[in-house]
Amino acid sequence: MKQIVPLDKARDDAIFGSKAVGLGDAARGGLPLPPGVALSGSIVEAVASGEERAIRTVAKSVRPLPRPLAVRSSAVDEDGADASFAGQHLTLLGVSSAEEVTEALREVWWSANSDSAITYRQRSGLFVRPSVGVVVQALLDPEVAGVMFTLNPISGADERLIEASWGLGEVVVAGRVIPDQFRIARSGEVVERKPGYKKLAVRTLPRGGTAEEELPPERVECLCLADDQLAELNRLADRCEQVYGSGRDIEWALAHGQLYLLQCRAVTRAGSSG
Amino acid sequence: MPGAPVTVLQRVPLFADLSKREAQQIARLFKQRRFAEGETVVKEGSGGAAFFLIESGQAMVTVAGKKRGTLNPGDYFGEIALIDEGARMATITALSELACYGLTYWEFRPLVQENGAIGWKLMQSLAKKLRDAQQGD
Repeated sequence: MKQIVPLDKARDDAIFGSKAVGLGDAARGGLPLPPGVALSGSIVEAVASGEERAIRTVAKSVRPLPRPLAVRSSAVDEDGADASFAGQHLTLLGVSSAEEVTEALREVWWSANSDSAITYRQRSGLFVRPSVGVVVQALLDPEVAGVMFTLNPISGADERLIEASWGLGEVVVAGRVIPDQFRIARSGEVVERKPGYKKLAVRTLPRGGTAEEELPPERVECLCLADDQLAELNRLADRCEQVYGSGRDIEWALAHGQLYLLQCRAVTRAGSSG
Repeated sequence: MPGAPVTVLQRVPLFADLSKREAQQIARLFKQRRFAEGETVVKEGSGGAAFFLIESGQAMVTVAGKKRGTLNPGDYFGEIALIDEGARMATITALSELACYGLTYWEFRPLVQENGAIGWKLMQSLAKKLRDAQQGD
């Protein structure tokens, strides 16, 4: 059995974890993903143990990927665990050298075996030996990135809700800016454009790592997405629903003029029609 | 060779009486973990995931906010929560960059269950900690 596969070959949750298999579904469905590979829980553990052969195998597999890289955990042990452990398991951005990849895998392994992860497991009745797969992907340096719900999770309306900001989408996910907000009808008609307050962007550095950048005043309240880009996001939402089903929570990025899907999950927060 | 170096392991009283072969078997189960200066290594009250052995660097032990000691290379900590599956009894903070070897609950328990010599050393270590704690009261 192969322990490292291209994303489109990641099919088994029990080997590669739910995040990797979710991205595998996207790759098989022709959705635009940054290039990457999926690593099994076994090889991540072997690297964390310092096994030279495993370290060399991983280094060889990630060598063709454009740098820098994102190293994301992909829990393999329980149904839906990746969502449950989202706050426990680690993602490292801006990883560059083979040595850094090894160290990142060790950190991801320890994040699944950390005191906080074990405490969570004890409290939630999941006190079994953890196993964590990993997705290694090219880390984009996007002009704009963010999240998109294919159904409005707040109102329950059948429309896309998009939150976007300059640079990496982590600032949106972590709530570090007030993002621009857009609502689009399924037909593609833009229902609302609401500028946010975006003083900060996080950029990918070419040699690895990320850097925070203070934005010039004219970009703080300026909308970061044009109508043609919103139309493209609406098409991405359509395609994600074709591959995964309705009600999706999508992370996306626009880099060098191309739209990429970074992650696609089921919406966990129920919409209220209130 | 994966795991902790046997020489580091043999500096630990808990493993000092083991044969070289036994020490090698156990050393393979350890995984390296690094902590930055100032980082909390384990937190009092939290569940315990791993037993740690310090390879290099220094760490401070505090209980209820009061300093209880300093840990140096060759020292180890975290075994108590792994034995009773209870909460961590102290907070350990890295005083410098800290390189440790960690053994998780999933490997630690069968190791002690299957190796009476380690079990006995562990009991002696716990008895010493109990005496120290009583004298400190």
